[in-house]
Amino acid sequence: MRRARAALAASVVLVLLTVVVASAADARSEKATVTTVTLSGWSAGKTEDDLLQSVVDDFNNTHPNIHVDYSVINGDYATAMTARFAAHNPPDVFYVDSSIAPTWIKQGVVQPLNAFIKKSKYDTSKFYPGLLNAFKVGKTYYGFPKDWSPLAVEINKAMFAKAGIKKAPRTWAELTADAQKLASSGAVPNGKPLCLPADWARMLAFVFQNNGSLAKVQSPAVAAAVNYYTGFFKRGLAATPTQLGVGWPGEALGKEKAAIIFEGNWVLPYMTSTFPQVGFGVGPMVKGKVNGNLGFTVSYSMAKDADNKQAAWTLLSYLTGKVGMTKWMSHGLALPSRTDVKAVGGRAPFLAAGPSSRGWGFPNFSATLTIMNNDLQAVIDGNKTTAQMLADVAASLKG
Amino acid sequence: MTSATETAPAPKRGSLFGTRMREAGWGYAFVLIPMAVFGLFFIYPLVYGVYISFFEWGILGKAAGATATTQNYTTLYHDPVFHRALRNTFEFALLVVPLEMALGLLVALVINAKIRGRAFFRSAFYFPSIASSAAITTIAIFILNPDGLLNRIIGSDQAWFGDSSTALYSVVGLNAWTTSGTVMLFYLAALQSIPTDVYEAAAVDGTGAWRTFWRITFPLLKPAHFFVLVVFGIGALKVFDQFYIVSQGTGGPEYSTLSAVFYIYQEAFKSANFGVGASAGVVLFVAIFLLTLLQRATVGRAEVG
Repeated sequence: MRRARAALAASVVLVLLTVVVASAADARSEKATVTTVTLSGWSAGKTEDDLLQSVVDDFNNTHPNIHVDYSVINGDYATAMTARFAAHNPPDVFYVDSSIAPTWIKQGVVQPLNAFIKKSKYDTSKFYPGLLNAFKVGKTYYGFPKDWSPLAVEINKAMFAKAGIKKAPRTWAELTADAQKLASSGAVPNGKPLCLPADWARMLAFVFQNNGSLAKVQSPAVAAAVNYYTGFFKRGLAATPTQLGVGWPGEALGKEKAAIIFEGNWVLPYMTSTFPQVGFGVGPMVKGKVNGNLGFTVSYSMAKDADNKQAAWTLLSYLTGKVGMTKWMSHGLALPSRTDVKAVGGRAPFLAAGPSSRGWGFPNFSATLTIMNNDLQAVIDGNKTTAQMLADVAASLKG
Repeated sequence: MTSATETAPAPKRGSLFGTRMREAGWGYAFVLIPMAVFGLFFIYPLVYGVYISFFEWGILGKAAGATATTQNYTTLYHDPVFHRALRNTFEFALLVVPLEMALGLLVALVINAKIRGRAFFRSAFYFPSIASSAAITTIAIFILNPDGLLNRIIGSDQAWFGDSSTALYSVVGLNAWTTSGTVMLFYLAALQSIPTDVYEAAAVDGTGAWRTFWRITFPLLKPAHFFVLVVFGIGALKVFDQFYIVSQGTGGPEYSTLSAVFYIYQEAFKSANFGVGASAGVVLFVAIFLLTLLQRATVGRAEVG
């Protein structure tokens, strides 16, 4: 009797164990079909982080075989990513700013995407070419722009009214005339008509407007554009943010220390939240000989060391595709880099620059930018000539 | 009953040697872990950095087919930006260290005197040294703004950090203020170790306060002078954070706040030229090493005798 009871108990335990092991194995096999893809970028504020997380949640819901693990990299993004590349442990998909793209591509840490584009028949023609070129070397694609912003003209409406000017300047001639009117009418009592930083991230747009380029940086066209930009300082019509005691031109507009600035889409939420009492208007970027603008853009790119490249491509192509980008644009935080995705209202002056914008980036970026901006300050201060600056920049661009 | 002393065998030469070896073994065992950490995180990176400096070195390591050359050093030799960074760094150190020493010594002398509220002043002067350098620099940017507090007081509109003729000196002033509290502590400790009978003898001889300071106090502080000069001199030559913050990472205006460590950071982490960055690091290391030897040979001669 005792032996029978023991046998029965043993049988029950055996059956239970079989059930537990079988269900665990089943769960494992279900999990095994789900591929995890890591996604990282920097944080541009909680609103943007939450928005991207909701885009990622949508992706996870519609792609049951892929799970995207999104994490923000805080602090110095380029340095943190450099360490992760060196450790062969980068995120599968990540942000690449157009300014650092040439460096990372040259270092061989970014995956060429042509094979994936061909296999999935991904349509690249929907992107603005100037933005897409920032992530291309020859015919090889290394990323697709997730969004962008060009420069536009932002003006103080009250100051313009006081100077008797009806609209934002559209051309170089109008810009000069408006700055002079603002100065002579005393419309900007606590500052200057223009706030221009000693920064090629603004002046290069004027270079493009004069048919200049970095490829021929010592050409007369570039020199003329530089002289036009720095001429505002020499005539007392402009001041740098530092000279006005502000951190950047947006703050100068908000604190009514300047009537005209050239900033991107990011200035709109800043002005409405920080300086709601200041009436400001936005116009398209001024035109020189031609339309020319800078596209500040960031791509989604794939790491060469990505663990699951096919799944990473599925995510990348979703985020930069029409569906993902439409969701991403819903809050109006940035402009769509695809022509088939609509921006939220009030962004027309920025969108107008799409065809004429070129990505902000060039070879040997960091070292060259240091030389560009320090030399530009020296030109503004009269301690260096335009020709000397352009010679320094040309030498640095060669690396 | 026999005492332990009586029963203990007489020490022999061999066993004494063994005891010493055992003691030494324990000693080495105790320092083994700190030395391993020191070797792993200081000596190894130093040697590796020197090795890297002779190659074209990127994010993923040595460039394909790269051979050992002095090209990175040649690049530095011809790079005017690096020359400017070195010049700024040495100019900064040359100005800030004497200023820190003078301020630290002055405050230490005041606090060492028998005045009311000594503890309060000691804490107050030391406070900037314990506060975050980044936070203090950020506040200083506001204070030294064209419409900041300082200009309101003196009736000026000078952009102290934004003008190439004043930016470096403004950082010198800021750095001297933030670090002089620590210098004060070293001088205070040294002042309190000077025997009082020396001062009593001087007082009996009718020596005045000024003469007493220059003839007694200042010379007797020589070990402290040497220590502060070496430690804070090295710190000044490695300056980075304050320059980086005031220039918003540009080294400007007109290169006036571009330091040697800033150059290394930019070359290595922003441009991924680790070879050039490492060679700049080696140049800075050699410069600091030689300067420290010079200080030891001059100021520290009597001290290290």
